[in-house]
Amino acid sequence: MKEEKSLIEKIMNEPQPIPRKVPDYMRKKGGIWYWTGAMIMITFFYEVITGIIMLFYYQPSNAYNSTVSFLTQPFGTIILTTHLYGAYLMIAFVYIHLLRNLFVGSYKKPRESQWFTGVLLLILTVAAGYFGYSLTGDVLSADATDVGRGIAAATPFIGSYLELIFFGAGTSIELFQRLEAWHIIIAGAIFLLFAVHFYIAEYNTIMPDPKETNFKAPVIDKDDENHKPWYPYNLMYMMQIAFATLALIFIIPSVFALIPNIPALLSPFPQVSPTSPLASQVPPYPPWFLLFVYKELDFQFASAIGPFWAVAIFTGMPLIYLFLVPLIDRSNEMKPSKRPLIIATGIIGTFYYVALSVWGAFRPGVPVPNFLALLFFIIPLIVMVPLIYYLAGNFEKEKYSNPNAWKIMALIPISGFFAFLSGAAIYSLISIGSALALGETIASLVFLILTLLTIYALYGGVKINKTPIKMKGTGYTVFGAVYGLLAVWIFTLITLIPMTTIRDQALIGIGLGIIFFISAVLTKIYRAYAYGE
Amino acid sequence: MPQENQNPDLSRRNFLKAMGVLAVGVGVAGILRGVVMDIIPPNQNVESGYPTLQLALPNGNPVHTNDLIVNNPQIVIFNYPLQNEPNFLLRLGDSNNNDVAVQPTEVVIPATGAKFTSPGGVGPYKSVVASSAICQHLGCVPPEIRFHPPNDTSYPGKIHCDCHGSTYDPYSGFSVVTGPTQSPLPNVKLVYDSTNDTYSASLMIGPVIYGRTSDLSGGNPISGNSTEVTTIS
Repeated sequence: MKEEKSLIEKIMNEPQPIPRKVPDYMRKKGGIWYWTGAMIMITFFYEVITGIIMLFYYQPSNAYNSTVSFLTQPFGTIILTTHLYGAYLMIAFVYIHLLRNLFVGSYKKPRESQWFTGVLLLILTVAAGYFGYSLTGDVLSADATDVGRGIAAATPFIGSYLELIFFGAGTSIELFQRLEAWHIIIAGAIFLLFAVHFYIAEYNTIMPDPKETNFKAPVIDKDDENHKPWYPYNLMYMMQIAFATLALIFIIPSVFALIPNIPALLSPFPQVSPTSPLASQVPPYPPWFLLFVYKELDFQFASAIGPFWAVAIFTGMPLIYLFLVPLIDRSNEMKPSKRPLIIATGIIGTFYYVALSVWGAFRPGVPVPNFLALLFFIIPLIVMVPLIYYLAGNFEKEKYSNPNAWKIMALIPISGFFAFLSGAAIYSLISIGSALALGETIASLVFLILTLLTIYALYGGVKINKTPIKMKGTGYTVFGAVYGLLAVWIFTLITLIPMTTIRDQALIGIGLGIIFFISAVLTKIYRAYAYGE
Repeated sequence: MPQENQNPDLSRRNFLKAMGVLAVGVGVAGILRGVVMDIIPPNQNVESGYPTLQLALPNGNPVHTNDLIVNNPQIVIFNYPLQNEPNFLLRLGDSNNNDVAVQPTEVVIPATGAKFTSPGGVGPYKSVVASSAICQHLGCVPPEIRFHPPNDTSYPGKIHCDCHGSTYDPYSGFSVVTGPTQSPLPNVKLVYDSTNDTYSASLMIGPVIYGRTSDLSGGNPISGNSTEVTTIS
């Protein structure tokens, strides 16, 4: 029997044409799901560029002052706040990319190595985020390095070495020099591993709709002469996504920068210095993507086993599970209903992550007794696993006539989550009555109503008349001209704003975000007119 | 729309293209303008005048005379007037480690021929002096440049820079003893508060600190009212 060739052997000895021609469905409605990786790449490049600019000013000997004084440097506020929110978006996209590929089953043959490198990239991305927000030298950074030191030092056998390697021998200069070095080293590692990840992806081809192979792995896109070439069709589509992503990166932190007294968790700015008398008023939050670890450390048994083992169990177990996914589910079945275990663990894992994060945000540092922790982990397990198996069986027997059945099922728990949030917000509005509680109430109610309306629409309550809007040639000209002039007008406005205060810079950031949103729209218009896409 | 536009109006297509390029162009221009303005360093005289900073130990307590060792072989430095402008803090003595009173003297700057009067020693024995710890020759910093106590075998009682061999005399206003340096070390004027037994740095006297256009530019100010005195072994 002929032994199967390794991936490296195949890549090296049987090179493929790269970049490939790509199928049209990637650019159609719903094709955005093929581009979640591209969005990560765009945010990553943005992070590299802004990070290099900040290297001009960051002084490890003077971490906090150099970070805060960078805010008053022209454009400094925009660079620092968008670097933070670019990182937030990158991590969010990493999670979306991960869940999407978990649920559609793209970890299956022949894409196992893509999956493994992807999980490594998740670890590296979160690590870069940790070192990055520790660099500011503010009170949150001091808390973060304290916790990090504690975890590193508690590692069995090599704890003291790990602490020295990552956090230095104790002086402040050495600490920040090391944090900076690790931040950049990990960014470099992300780039190298991303290149491998991307090359494997190109080699293994885009995964078409599993329907084409009758829901059996391997799902491979056959090279088709009818596929359009990469340039210009895919390039234009990718630029459209890039502009939209850039717009998000600019607009979100700039809007938050204008909100007074924004909670520390959302604030795009460094908090006060750890030596300031106000430092005690800042809750010791980690950023949102580490909140789940933070809440887990509040569990009674976590404090009994120490921070290292708590973190090793709570983050190590999900990571090991993620690594093992392609080994656990080795069948060639692509249908989600034939992979109920993977789907169920994916949903429960997401629930744990979100619920722990929300819990950590609203009840930071409040200890959780063992029985409550047990209930928290057990109830979703005993409810969700049988439920998913039951639903999967029903899907197999084709009991649901509505093609949107799975979307409705996915939205029901989400609406429940928003209902819970609304209830909590209304309770705090009545008992405290602050403006913040009012904002929370309105936001959670809006999300709740939107989710419920979507469910109603999917159930068939709303019939959408799907006649595509036909635009004539002159229509394109008019819209193109309006958007183009709007961009120039906004550019004129933001050029007139002096870049002196933080508020002015936030306004400039919003303006730049809108310009890039317009760029995305214009790219879409151009694609529609010139390529008929 | 059909798969490919059947009758592509080229001028209309080019117009859309131009609008797209225009929008991206102004976006990039807006960013580039900001980035260029950003990377031009602020040319600020961060301090309008020399600050008066009390010398303090790492634990925050002020430095008292007893905290200073006569003829200390270790290097004791503090930053003044800005961060990353290190200065020696010396309590000078004779070869029996008794305090030596340092008198103000006239110091010549060989490079220009100009003269200045050194502030002299302060403290109960007039033996505490301070100067920039950045060599005036090519900017070497401690431990390359350091004070050798009077009973040291090499360069006794002198500040010597191992980089290129410049030697300074701390007992007479940090004046030049041997080249290649052509300029004495800038003196720090210390003020002694005899009621509380504390020291403060209040002024720089003599040439400009090496590598600066002025003593007060090219760095960040020291926050607070004190500057930390640290010992490097």
